[in-house]
Amino acid sequence: MKLKNIGFSTMQIGIVAIVLAALIAVSSLVSEYFASSYNMMIIARSLAFIGLVTTGQAMLMLLGELDISLGTIGGLCGVIAGMLMVNLGLNPFVSMLLAVMFGALFGLFNGLLVTGLGLHSLVLTIAMAGVYKGINLVLTKGVAITNIPEQVQFLGRGQVWGIPVPFIIMLVIALLITVIAHKSPFGRYIFAIGDNPPAARMLGIKTNRIRIMVFTLAGTLAALAGTLMVARLGTAQPSIGDSWVLPSIAAAVIGGVATTGGVGSPLGAILGAGIIGVIENIIVLYGVSPYWQGVISGVVVVLAISFDSISRRFLFGRH
Amino acid sequence: MASVRAPAPTSPAEPPGGAATDTTDGVLVEARGITQTYPGVTALEDVAISIRAGSVHVIAGENGAGKSTLVKILTGTESPTRGEVIIGGRPAAEDPQLFHRIGYVPQELSLFSHMTVAENLFMPFEQSGYGGALLNTRRMQRNAAEQLERFKINARPEQQVQSLSVSDQQLLMIARALSHRELDVLILDEPTSSLTASEVERLFDLINALRDEGKGIVFISHKSEEVFEMGDETTVLRNGKLVGTYPMADLDERRLLSLMAGREVDTDERFKPEVDEGEVILQVRGLTGPGFENISFELRRGEVLGLAGLVGAGRTESMQAVFGYLPVKSGDVVLDGEPLKLGDTSASVRAGLLYLSEERKLHGILPLQSVLHNIGVTLFDETARRGLISASKERARVSEIVQRFDVKTSSLGNRIMFLSGGNQQKAIIGRAMALQPKVLILDEPTRGIDVRTKIEVYRIITQLAEAGVGVIVISSEMTELRKCSTRIACLYAGRIQAEFDNETCSNEELVTAIFGGRRDEQ
Repeated sequence: MKLKNIGFSTMQIGIVAIVLAALIAVSSLVSEYFASSYNMMIIARSLAFIGLVTTGQAMLMLLGELDISLGTIGGLCGVIAGMLMVNLGLNPFVSMLLAVMFGALFGLFNGLLVTGLGLHSLVLTIAMAGVYKGINLVLTKGVAITNIPEQVQFLGRGQVWGIPVPFIIMLVIALLITVIAHKSPFGRYIFAIGDNPPAARMLGIKTNRIRIMVFTLAGTLAALAGTLMVARLGTAQPSIGDSWVLPSIAAAVIGGVATTGGVGSPLGAILGAGIIGVIENIIVLYGVSPYWQGVISGVVVVLAISFDSISRRFLFGRH
Repeated sequence: MASVRAPAPTSPAEPPGGAATDTTDGVLVEARGITQTYPGVTALEDVAISIRAGSVHVIAGENGAGKSTLVKILTGTESPTRGEVIIGGRPAAEDPQLFHRIGYVPQELSLFSHMTVAENLFMPFEQSGYGGALLNTRRMQRNAAEQLERFKINARPEQQVQSLSVSDQQLLMIARALSHRELDVLILDEPTSSLTASEVERLFDLINALRDEGKGIVFISHKSEEVFEMGDETTVLRNGKLVGTYPMADLDERRLLSLMAGREVDTDERFKPEVDEGEVILQVRGLTGPGFENISFELRRGEVLGLAGLVGAGRTESMQAVFGYLPVKSGDVVLDGEPLKLGDTSASVRAGLLYLSEERKLHGILPLQSVLHNIGVTLFDETARRGLISASKERARVSEIVQRFDVKTSSLGNRIMFLSGGNQQKAIIGRAMALQPKVLILDEPTRGIDVRTKIEVYRIITQLAEAGVGVIVISSEMTELRKCSTRIACLYAGRIQAEFDNETCSNEELVTAIFGGRRDEQ
């Protein structure tokens, strides 16, 4: 009886959190290195970048949209940050801020194309991913920008009480966005649009404006991830972000966000990213060939979706 | 192929066809001791029903009485928690293939609108004998033509389904159910909900022909006239329990409704707002767009304007355009003295103009969200401050609305998709009311809703008008328009054909205008 009052999404987040905790517990039992503070830091740091992209992707998925170009937006904005501070000699913090604003602009552009032309976001953003990657290569000719000023590097490498700074940034932003998703009118409108777009319009919700805003948000977060990655590496690699998009979608799905929109939570998606991160880490610790990583992550996603569909059937009966 | 008898006016309360129905031998399908429980709910408790050959069996009950659950069990979509379904004398639990002898035509159109009529008829191809590697299109279309002829459907086999009229699509769904295999029983769930009077007649001719062939027909409808016209016997459900099975001839409307409700129901009540009409609140001038032309009218505060017309006359299109959901080529709308920005629903809502769609599932509810969030989504002006929603305020306001509009739900956290249609409708009306509209357009507000809830909806409409709201009601049911409107406008082929005062006009005048005639025609 109590379960009923919590609501489906809270329960789902609970399940994902329990799975993550269990995974961490098992991993610390099977590997003595796993729970070491050094290893935890590695996990946290890699989670920081994927987590930012996942947060944006999850918000888009709640709307029933997807953005395949988030990874290349991150990479391009990282390169832009590098060029602004190294080639143009701008203040490195200002450069990072400008690069993030570029990310917002790219996201806005995606959103305008999707809503203005009524395009399918999946198809459009696959194309835009190519465009952003192309601009990246035109700008860099495939060569990394080095000599990133040291004063910004703590944003990517630094620690506060032993916790990586980018992880803290990600966590603060993800929690903030979770609150917005569940506790603000804006967030509720996102759920409404993702659930039933015509009904949302009938209610007088500005569906297109909200779609554009969420695309902009996702672009901004991807750019933030990209520039923080530059600060962490100390170089602006053109390849930054190449492997971010699929994990961001997988994480959201594992975390209970429906690909069709209207169901889930950015918090669940972050926990999903955590599950992927821990699994990848334990694979490395166990010395499993990295070639197997893709197989295992893929299987985890399939398991997560199956679990979701089975639990739905159990809760609501067939059909 | 059996022949269909020529269309003829059906006499009401036709006696059950054939002697076989008077004995238990004619039973095609029987369900015994059916109990169905879902987590936290008992949908059916010890229900029994037998469907006889050559008879139309009505399942009657209010929303949430368990009609759809019983249908799901009869069609084998769900297996009951307790009890058994016996088809042709054999328990279906032992041989699920038996369920293939029962056809089901759902209320909503569920056709593949971008595929051809023939493809729709014979899908899935394996079952209809077209399952080879390549489709034999020519043979399929030839056979489809036969079926179209048999069911009197106005369509060509190669035509795309989306270009068919709603009634032809409805008949096509029945044809699809019947053309696959030899059916014993056909279940029709609210088959007339989107049909106009003459189209209903076509459907009834078909049902009569099927009855004469010895099929068992299960007929579910909220419209009493239809139930009494078509039914041979009726099984009444109330709150998941069996009230009884009665020969139709033993019942009258009043008796049936009180059996369904468990108490006396007054259906003759008329609802007229007790208020003097106020100033003009809405002016529509020369509105023209896809499907409607030169629509002009005025609406006063406290007035209930009924919009009558055939399906396809442009009622929905023109009102959705007034609301800003559909585009407009020319014309303008003035709301409370201010010109309204067209094509922008959020501007309309802000200005106080609301539209509630007839397509509750498509345009109304947010199915996956809770009742709380479905209603709460319009309340943020009251419940949110500085961008954050107060959970306690929201819960309090929503509970108030749920109580006031009598929405039955075990918890506010329930997904709204699990509520019955009538309760969904009340929730949506409650949600709209919370916005305190100046003008409210209700498109078929009682479609698929039981009689008692209908009366509640009429009462709400009356209260709104008395509170000074201008109300527009689109409806295909003449009795509904006569019951609750003050004025009736008839649309025909996208234009307003005539306007009448509900107090002084006759049914004949209205019907004539609906069919596009002037006074003395038809």
